[in-house]
Amino acid sequence: MAEIELEEDEYTSQITGKTVGRIFSLTRPHWRWVAGFWVMIAFTSILDAIFTYINKNIIDQGIIAQSQHALRSLLTLYGGLILVQSVCVFFFIFLAGILGERIQFDLRKSMFNHLQQLSLAFYSQTSVGRLMARVTSDSGRVSDLVTWGLVDSTWAIMNIITSTIFMMIINWKLALIVLGAIPILLTIAVQFRKRILVEFRNSRKANSKITGAYNENISGVRVVKSLGREAENLKEFTILTDEMYRSSYHAAWLSALFLPTVQIISAIALGFIVWYGGLQAHLGIMTIGGIQAFVSYLTFMMWPIQDLARVYAEMQHSIASGERIFTLLDSVPEVFDRPGAADPGTIKGEIEFDHVDFTYEDGKPVLTDFTMKIKPGEMIALVGPTGGGKSTIVNLLCRFYEPKRGVIRINRRDYTEFTLHGIQSRVGIVLQTPHLFSGTVRENIRYGCLNATDEEVENASKLAGAHDFIQNFEKKYDQDVGEGGNLLSVGQKQLVSIARAILAQPDIFIMDEATSSVDTLTEALIQRGMENLMLGRTSFIIAHRLSTIKRANRIIVVEDGRITEMGTHSELLRARGHYYRLYTQQFREEREQEFDPYLTQATNMPED
Amino acid sequence: MKLAAPAHEYDFSQALTPNRIRGLWRMMSGFQWQYAGATASLAVAACAKTTTFILLRYFVDIVLGQGNYSLGGTLNRTLIIIAFGFIGLASIEGSFSYFSGRLAAYTAEGITRRLRNYLYDHIQRLEFAYHDKTPTGELIERCTSDVDALRRFYSEQAIGVGRIVILFVINFTAIALLSIRLALISIIIVPVIILTSIWFFRRVTKAYEKYQEQEAILSTTLQENLAGVRVVKAFARQEYEINKFNTENWEKYSRGRKLLTMQAFFWPVSDIVCSFQTLTGLLIAGTMAINGTITVGTYMAYAGLVGWLIWPMRNLGRLIVQTSTGLVSFGRVTEIIKQKQEPLTEGNYQSQQPIRGEMIFDKVGFAYENNPPVLQDISFSCQPGQVVALLGSTGSGKTTLVNLLPRFYDYTTGSIKLDGVELTDYPREFLRSQVGIVQQEPFLFSRSIRENIMYGVNRDVPQVEVENAASSAAIHDVIISFPNEYDTLVGEKGVTLSGGQKQRVTIARTILKDSRMLILDDSTSSVDTETESAIREALMGLTPKRTTFIIAHRIQSVMNADLILVMDKGRIIQKGTHEELLEQDGMYRRIYDLQTRIDEELAMELSESVSRE
Repeated sequence: MAEIELEEDEYTSQITGKTVGRIFSLTRPHWRWVAGFWVMIAFTSILDAIFTYINKNIIDQGIIAQSQHALRSLLTLYGGLILVQSVCVFFFIFLAGILGERIQFDLRKSMFNHLQQLSLAFYSQTSVGRLMARVTSDSGRVSDLVTWGLVDSTWAIMNIITSTIFMMIINWKLALIVLGAIPILLTIAVQFRKRILVEFRNSRKANSKITGAYNENISGVRVVKSLGREAENLKEFTILTDEMYRSSYHAAWLSALFLPTVQIISAIALGFIVWYGGLQAHLGIMTIGGIQAFVSYLTFMMWPIQDLARVYAEMQHSIASGERIFTLLDSVPEVFDRPGAADPGTIKGEIEFDHVDFTYEDGKPVLTDFTMKIKPGEMIALVGPTGGGKSTIVNLLCRFYEPKRGVIRINRRDYTEFTLHGIQSRVGIVLQTPHLFSGTVRENIRYGCLNATDEEVENASKLAGAHDFIQNFEKKYDQDVGEGGNLLSVGQKQLVSIARAILAQPDIFIMDEATSSVDTLTEALIQRGMENLMLGRTSFIIAHRLSTIKRANRIIVVEDGRITEMGTHSELLRARGHYYRLYTQQFREEREQEFDPYLTQATNMPED
Repeated sequence: MKLAAPAHEYDFSQALTPNRIRGLWRMMSGFQWQYAGATASLAVAACAKTTTFILLRYFVDIVLGQGNYSLGGTLNRTLIIIAFGFIGLASIEGSFSYFSGRLAAYTAEGITRRLRNYLYDHIQRLEFAYHDKTPTGELIERCTSDVDALRRFYSEQAIGVGRIVILFVINFTAIALLSIRLALISIIIVPVIILTSIWFFRRVTKAYEKYQEQEAILSTTLQENLAGVRVVKAFARQEYEINKFNTENWEKYSRGRKLLTMQAFFWPVSDIVCSFQTLTGLLIAGTMAINGTITVGTYMAYAGLVGWLIWPMRNLGRLIVQTSTGLVSFGRVTEIIKQKQEPLTEGNYQSQQPIRGEMIFDKVGFAYENNPPVLQDISFSCQPGQVVALLGSTGSGKTTLVNLLPRFYDYTTGSIKLDGVELTDYPREFLRSQVGIVQQEPFLFSRSIRENIMYGVNRDVPQVEVENAASSAAIHDVIISFPNEYDTLVGEKGVTLSGGQKQRVTIARTILKDSRMLILDDSTSSVDTETESAIREALMGLTPKRTTFIIAHRIQSVMNADLILVMDKGRIIQKGTHEELLEQDGMYRRIYDLQTRIDEELAMELSESVSRE
């Protein structure tokens, strides 16, 4: 699938000490690893500096002094230290890497756990794509900061410090002069990084546009073909690839220019060393090895300096990621268990909405002063136009949301006295767009009751009317349903989700009837499955089919966030109000033969 | 740096060859000189680097060692000349590595842009049959990740391998010039390093793939959990979900550990190997220097050069392994390129006159490649302006049948005559301009509503016309209720339209196209009852005087058609008008009876309730 473009890199966040502190506190449980790789990277860097010094001594004390003994012992020391350094390298890669993975694991775990607690209100405000980005990429960035970010900056700082010290030891005057190059190099590095980063960002944006264009054109290829849009489309697409070309080419040649620029500037410092060192050597103040070592230390400092700019840019990124993660972790669920909440045991009893008001975040009232009592075993049909507020009643009943004012009672007690789990585990729900999880058909049905036997699963599936089509699968109940159940048709998904609800043996059954037509046979199966589920249970159906509505004990007409009518089918028909209009309209559409869509001349408009 | 622009367009089908290396070379067509330039610049830069060490040798031996200042006359001037020598060499090296980088980027980005455009256009011109069997995600993956892998191949890997080889050759030659013995000793270990690093990076690549696989599984688990939050909550399955996620999360952690352990072993071990090669060299060179076989300057030059000989070798393995992923991507991309495009303008009958819409099907059959036929023995005819309805269950061949009309597929047997001319003689492009299609699943593009309505018309359309089309499709009022009216964006960044609204926008699109023939594919199924009537009204405006094909599975939608075809398993089992078919004992009457029975019950129910008043 195309990646969702989340322009989160856009907002630049200030580095706040608090966030940084909190990010680093994530490493506290693993502080031994942090200390370990930190020491190891420091050792590695010091050893690197010592190697250069040994090289100097090989030249001065071994070769120029013509001492075979000194040469051998220096090289032996060198070799030994390399072994030590290898151990250090092993440990810092291993520890930092593992720590990174571990921090990612911890972050993802705590975010996922927290997400399970958050209420539906949160989910309706935040898109799945954004949440995915928090858990996957943001956690990666944060873990990079406390591991490789720390490694890189430690290494860079250590290299600069050790090089400076050794240069000072060799010749402090020359060292001071050479150090003058550092600010120049840093400025150049920062300038380059800034520009490269901008172009990178542009090219990433262009890239996601290109991916989007591919996605759209491929999934809409039938429309494109039938409308003959090929040439026009290519023209539009070329604009995108040109954009991409410009920014990535720009970024690439800037990067290609960056390194040589740094090299040339340090070559000037190097030339200075040669001139000054040569003069000093002539006076016997500096040795040949010393000049050589000086040059080495200079290159030694050059790398981390140009790297620091990158590390700093990445750090800013990571901190922004950290802030987003903490915002998620800090968000409080709106619906939660009150202290002392108890399990209701059963919720088969009476349900009462007592002067309930409800508004979503946008402040538009959805339910106002809503009062109704539902007797055990009653079947309620909710009807009305889309967006009228039918699903709000259901959401409140399931306690996905709680009333802003008023009380909902189950078993004659305020339902906030019960645990969420106690209520929600006893509600069976079938959604309009059924959601299945990847896995087998059996696993999906068993989701309703995790310790059900295979036999129970099959019985539920028989009751739901799903058994027959499942039997036709090659692997029967072990058939894979695909990601999100996509390998099944909508009707099949609905049947499986009915079976899942039947298996759960809920006290209350809620169904959002599908509007899309499935074939006649499947529809009959679904109807039968629903009947089986409603048997002896209080049920709420957001109904679209007349046959379903007709069967209800009570019909509630919800329009514009208000309950406009309530009663039985014949009561409401007699009232000749909203329901009557809804019903007759639907009836006409199903019934009226003259009202055919394709031949105007054949009919008159039905009188209103 | 000015560069002559190579062809922006290149027919990538010319790059098809069984030899992938040759194919990659051909893909560079038009960029080959630039790429050669990039490689040559690398060589110049490497030479400059090597010369630096030779200059160092001169500096140490001649100037400092022998006190020979013949270069500048005095020590000070000699030193200044040498210092500028170093700066000059560094400038040459820097400039040429910049040229090289820029030329390589120019090549890689240029090829990629060309390839992206080509693939985009190629894919939209591939046959329907290809799109039917190829998942969208798969195609996108190839157009993005694989194209990017190819970009990296040109910009990093191929040039990277070249760089290491050039460094090796030049530095080896330089050391050999200093001392052939030293040169030979210094490269003993090189084959070992290359081979082990190839072996290692192969394994790392595999481990990395496994790690990525698990990352994908974890994402899916997360995505399904978030998308199904209502189900999770409704069944109170939070604990279960947490455990499921934890298991996958832990698996990813342990795969990451495995990957890291491998990395953590490779680098220090290869450090040790390379270092001991270097130290051996230094010991021998040092001894030679002490014995006077070579000078101190030579020793120092050697010590510098040998690093450039050995250390890059570790990366050679990595690059070679990555190159193989470039080759794999090349294969995956050419698989798309290999597919045949639909010739859009080819056809024996080149007329620009609008069609009338008379159709005669004679024993038409269709099968996908070597599969059993999907359509068999289809024969019927219709006059211009008539309505033909297709009724039948899912999979009975209705959609396939109408897909023959715009030549989305070509029938494999029999004959279809449109206005007396064989359908396959019409160019596809012309035919499609004459046919308007309202599909079952309305598809809109993520651009403004106006652009969506104008999508099928390749001309500037005045606002009035767009609005008229929208009004006829009963969507104008909805559109002007949005803050940005016709400029409202559709999709994720704009408004979310309901199924019915989307459907009506596509109808407006079809109205604006004003085609001679219409195909309506079950267009009212995904809509609730209120919008259904609005759509029906919209469609009423479309049908007169156009030959219309309607696909439906409700009797009500087909009753007034001039011809009803009842289809089953790819054949026409009944044909006639509504009245004729009701006379017959067949599937049509069975469907009719089933659907009317429900209606009658409802009618009774209504009259009962009302009569109780």
